[in-house]
Amino acid sequence: MAELERDLRETGRLLAWPAEPDLAPSVRARLGEAPRPLLFARRRMLVLALAALVVAIGAAFAVPPARTAILRFFHIGGETITRVETLPNAPRLSPIAGLDGPMSVEDASDRAGFNLILPPKHGGIYADDGIVATYIAPQVVLTEARGELGFTKKIAGPNTHIEPLRVNDHDGVWVAGAPHVLMYFDSQGLGREKRVRIAGNTLVWAYGSVTLRIEGPITQARALALAATVR
Amino acid sequence: MPRGAWNAARGCGVVPAVVGRPLDETELVERAKRGDEHAYGELVHAYQGIAFRIAYLVVGNAAEAEDAAQDGFVKAYRALHRFRSGEPLRPWLLKIVANEARNRRRASTRRDALTLRVTAESSSGEAAPSPEAVVIDAERRASLVAAVDTLPEPQRLVIACRYFLELSEDETAEVLGIRRGTVKSRTARALDRLRETYG
Repeated sequence: MAELERDLRETGRLLAWPAEPDLAPSVRARLGEAPRPLLFARRRMLVLALAALVVAIGAAFAVPPARTAILRFFHIGGETITRVETLPNAPRLSPIAGLDGPMSVEDASDRAGFNLILPPKHGGIYADDGIVATYIAPQVVLTEARGELGFTKKIAGPNTHIEPLRVNDHDGVWVAGAPHVLMYFDSQGLGREKRVRIAGNTLVWAYGSVTLRIEGPITQARALALAATVR
Repeated sequence: MPRGAWNAARGCGVVPAVVGRPLDETELVERAKRGDEHAYGELVHAYQGIAFRIAYLVVGNAAEAEDAAQDGFVKAYRALHRFRSGEPLRPWLLKIVANEARNRRRASTRRDALTLRVTAESSSGEAAPSPEAVVIDAERRASLVAAVDTLPEPQRLVIACRYFLELSEDETAEVLGIRRGTVKSRTARALDRLRETYG
């Protein structure tokens, strides 16, 4: 055994290793960077961008950044839809939960701070600063929110289907297939954060400065048909 | 140096931990803990060679190994507050780099075959074989490297750490994330196997 071990050591000393890189300068250049949650070398720039986004969302929306590696995101009007690995905890509630009402269209408009866009048929109107919601069919809720970016936010898990499409000639997104979490905020975007877990499907689109959502146990075709009545 | 270039082997891949540790390592660590990036750069410079080789053994690709080592050093800097002063820094650093390399390997579907070559002693002025090395002829060394390369992965790594990189059993255990007893038993099985093929 001793001979074999000696041969191995001696052979090791004569091995041709790949050229040793000088790592110190590149390491030092990175010491001031924000921590990177994912470390795939060939995607370094993308990863840096995502890391910055995780931090931003963590600060603004109190999503635990360590558990929510963001896989994909995009904006529709004031809504940010983010696909993450792990959904944050949230009660399974209607999007109306937490809003005040019912109230008149005028009161709701004053409370929300914008003119409502309502279909001919709708139920009682519930509102808070920057947001209104009403039932437009059994278990189907229409929500309208003022369009500041980041005012509302949807967080979708890996199994949620997200499909960009056109709604009433405006850009929209269809979110379906698995529960997702809706978060919305007061007009400052800070404090008074509300989170609800939504089991149904969602159609989101922007109309001027207002972002609209139809949420419920409905098909895409049914959601688009309902959306067509909201003009 | 361009990636893919190959070094002629140096006289020794790595020197024993205690001897190779810079005399002022403790002071450099303390300074780095206080945010002195220059001091940390010195530590990186001291250990980048062995770190890169360990990463290369794990990922089998020089570019990936460089990235893994770089990421490992950056992570280690951020974790320095958890490093206990007075402990040996080298195994702690190498463990982080090796973990980084393992994660990278799991994430990657591509892995080049490990291609460690033995330098011809006379072809490079840098090569400085010991008298024992001269005894082993080039053909036998090449067949020994080939035999190591065909070992099952866990055995190949433990042999490479113990003999090619000349890490201690404790360091090998730390770097590979296994117990010292496992290092011993795995090494013994690998040597048995090599004896069968290498003779």
